[in-house]
Amino acid sequence: MRTVSRRLAWGMLALVLAGALAVGSRGESGPPTEDQRVQRIASVVRCPTCRGLSAAQSDAPSAEAIRDEVRRRVQEGETDAQIKGYLVSRYGEDILLQPKSRVVWALPVIGGAAAVGGLVFVLRRRRVKPGPTVSDADEALVARAMRAKS
Amino acid sequence: MSAVLGTAAVALGLAAAILGMATLAIGLRRHDPGMLRTGQRYVWLVLAGAVLATVAMQYALLSHDFSLKYVADNHSRSTPLLYTVTTMWSALEGSILLWALVLAGYIAVMARHFRNRATDPMVAWATLVALGVAAFFFGLMAGPSNPFRLVAGAIPLDGPGPNPLLQNHPLVAFHPPMLYLGYVGFTIPFAFALAALITGRLGEGWLVETRRWTLFAWGFLTVGIVLGAWWSYEVLGWGGYWAWDPVENASFLPWLTATAYVHSVMVQERRAMLRVWNLSLLVATFSLTILGTFLTRSGVLDSVHAFTESAIGPAILAFFGVVVAVSIALIGWRGDKLRSPGSIDAPVSREAAFLANNVAFAAFAFVVLLGTLFPLLVEATNGDQLSVGAPYFNRMTAPIGFTLLFLMAVAPALPWRKAAAETLHHRLIGPAWAGTLTVVACVAFGLRGLGPLLAFGLAAFAGAAALRQLGLSVRAARRGGEPVWRALLGRSNGGMVVHLGVVLVAVGFAASSSYGHRAQFRLAPGESASLAGHSVTYLSTTVEEKSNKRTTSAQVRVDGGKVYAPALHQFPFGSQAIGSPSVRTGPFSDVYLTLVVPPDAAGVAVIGVNVQPMIVWLWIGGTVMGFGTFLAAWPGRRRRPAAPGSEPAVAEPDATRPEPAAVPS
Repeated sequence: MRTVSRRLAWGMLALVLAGALAVGSRGESGPPTEDQRVQRIASVVRCPTCRGLSAAQSDAPSAEAIRDEVRRRVQEGETDAQIKGYLVSRYGEDILLQPKSRVVWALPVIGGAAAVGGLVFVLRRRRVKPGPTVSDADEALVARAMRAKS
Repeated sequence: MSAVLGTAAVALGLAAAILGMATLAIGLRRHDPGMLRTGQRYVWLVLAGAVLATVAMQYALLSHDFSLKYVADNHSRSTPLLYTVTTMWSALEGSILLWALVLAGYIAVMARHFRNRATDPMVAWATLVALGVAAFFFGLMAGPSNPFRLVAGAIPLDGPGPNPLLQNHPLVAFHPPMLYLGYVGFTIPFAFALAALITGRLGEGWLVETRRWTLFAWGFLTVGIVLGAWWSYEVLGWGGYWAWDPVENASFLPWLTATAYVHSVMVQERRAMLRVWNLSLLVATFSLTILGTFLTRSGVLDSVHAFTESAIGPAILAFFGVVVAVSIALIGWRGDKLRSPGSIDAPVSREAAFLANNVAFAAFAFVVLLGTLFPLLVEATNGDQLSVGAPYFNRMTAPIGFTLLFLMAVAPALPWRKAAAETLHHRLIGPAWAGTLTVVACVAFGLRGLGPLLAFGLAAFAGAAALRQLGLSVRAARRGGEPVWRALLGRSNGGMVVHLGVVLVAVGFAASSSYGHRAQFRLAPGESASLAGHSVTYLSTTVEEKSNKRTTSAQVRVDGGKVYAPALHQFPFGSQAIGSPSVRTGPFSDVYLTLVVPPDAAGVAVIGVNVQPMIVWLWIGGTVMGFGTFLAAWPGRRRRPAAPGSEPAVAEPDATRPEPAAVPS
C-alpha cells in the first residue's frame, strides 16, 4: 500500500475519532443542578467515621449528615470553596480527600515529565548512528528483487 | 499443649533456617559440595516447623483452647467451623504464621525443583537468601508477633470471635491465602536475582529458570487482588470494589512492578537488554511486599505513631531497609557486568515499547506509593492530618492507565529491532478502526464523558489487537496441522488471553466509575421506588438468630421479579451493625441493595440502592486473566536465552557477546 493512501487511511481514522470524542465530551449545557453540586462536593469530602470512603459513597449517618449540611448550604447560595472551608473548619484538614498541598500534585507531574523526557532522550540517542554505505550495484539489486516480488 | 507444640515448632523453624544459612555459607566459602547438599536438607526442617506450628494453631482453635492469647482474642465458641479455621489468618500474629507456612512451602518446592543442582553456588546462594527471609518471619513469631503466647491471668471461658467483617462470607478462606501465594511467591525469583548478583553470573539463564515462578506468583497475586475487590463489593457493603485504601494499595503496588517485570524480562531474554531495569523491578516487587506488610500490620495506618507501640512495626521496617540497601549495593557493585551488549535500534520497536511500558508502570507505582505514604510522612514530620483519597488516585492514574492500554494494543504488533511503516499499518489499522468505531457507537448510544469514551476506545483497540494475534496463532496452528486449542498455549498466546482479561476489567472499571447512580429511599412495606430505570419494592423484614449473630433482613423485589435480601448483622461483641448487601448481577448492570436503617416503629425502612453498569465484567475479566496466566505458563517452545551465563562455568563467564535468538518472532 502506498504511503499516500496509508496516510489517508490514518488521517480519516483520526478525524472520525476526534469528531466522536469531541461530540462525546460535550457535557450537559448550563450550570450544574443542586443535586450535581451536592454530589460533586460530597465526593471529594471524606466520611468522618469510615476510613477512605467519600461522603457521597458512604451510607453512614455521619456521611448523611454531611450531605444534608452541604445541601443546605448549596440552597443558601454558598460557593463550593465556602462550603469546603466550613467543613475543614469543623472537621479538620483531613476531611478533604484531595489534599491542598501542592507537593502531592506536583511531584507526579514533575516525575512524569522527567520520565517521558528521559524516555525520549534514550530513544533519540540511537538515531544519530550513521548507516552503512550502500553502493549503486546493491541498490539496483534490491530494486530488481522488489519488482520481481510484486 | 498447643502452646508448647507451637512454640517448639517455631523454634525448630527458626533454628533450621539459621543453621541452614550457616551451613550453606560455610559450604560456599569452602567450595564444599557436601556441605551445600546438607544445607539444602535444612529446608525440609523449616517446612516441618511451619507445618507443625500451623497444626498446633488449628488444633488450639478447633479445640477452643483459650489459654492461648491469640485464641482468646480472636476466637469464640459460637463461631462456625469454616470461620474457626480461617481465624488463623484473621489477625496479625496468625497472618505471620500463614506467611511463614507459604514461604516454607515455596522454599521446599524450590529445593526439590533444583535438587539436581544442589551443589551449584547459584542455587546455594538463592536458598541462603530464601532461608534468610524465612528466618526473619520465624524470628518475628519467636519474638514480637508470637501466636502461641499464653494469656496473662485467668483463662477465659469464651472469646469475642474474629472481626465480624471476617466471618461474613466464605471468601475469607480464599482471598488471604491467594494473596499470600502471590506475595510470598516473589521471594524465590528475588532470591535468584540476589544469587545471580552475588555470583556474578548475570546472563539470562537464571531468568529463564525462574520465569514460571514469577508467572505463578503474578497469577496468584492478580487473582488475590480481584477476589479482594469482589469481597469489598459483595461483603463490605459500601457499594464499590476499590477505594484506593492503603491496604488495597499495599497489595496493588507489588502487582504493578511485577507486571512490568514479566513484560520486561522478554527483552532481556531475547536481546540481553534492560538488565538493571529487571533486577530493579524484581527487587522493588519483593521490597514492596515487605513494605505492604509493614503498612498493614504495624498499626501505622491508624496513627503514624502507633506503629512503635509493638516491636513488629520497627522490625518489618528495618527488614525492608536491609533488603533495599543490600539490593542496591549489589546492583551497584555488579554494575559493569550489567551493561547490555545490545541497544535500542529504533524508537518504534518492541524493545522501545517495553521500555516505555516499564516507565509507565514505574510512574503508576510511584503515584500510588506517594499517595499512600504522603499522609503518613506529613503526620510524622509536622503532625498535620490530611487525607489522600480516591479522587486524587483516579485523576493521577487515569492518564497512565490510558497509556498502558495504548501500549498493550500496539506493542504486540511491533517487530523487534525496527518497525517498517508498512508493517505497522497492516497490523494496526484493523484494531485502530475497531477502537474508533467503538467510540462512535458509544457516542451514538448516548454515552458522554471524555474519560470513559477514551477508555472504551482504547480497550476495544487493545482487545481487537489481542484477538488478531490469537487469530493468527489459530491460523498458523491449522496450517501446521495442530489442533486449535494448541494455538492458545504458551507465553505469547496466553499473554494475549491475559490482555483480553485486562480489557474486560478496564471496561468494567471505566463504566462503573462513570455511570453509576445511587440513592437512599424511605419505604414503607409495599412501597416502591425507582432509580436509573430499575424499580425496587420493599416487601417486609425478618429477624433471624444464628449461633454467632443476629440478622435483620429486608425483602426487596427488584424490577418486579426476584426478591433480594439485604441485611444487617449484629454480633454479640460488636458495637456497630455490619451490613451485608444483596446484589442483582446482570450482564450490563448490577442493582445493589443495602439495608441502611431497619424498620422503625412505623415500619418504614431506609433501603439504599446503587445501580452500576458492567460490574460483572470485572470478575469475568479477572477470571480470564487467571486462565490466561495458566495458559501462558504451559510449556511452549523453549527459546535459547541470549547469553546463558548461568550455566556453571569453568572460567568466569562474560556476557558481552550474545548468541542470536534461536526462534524468530
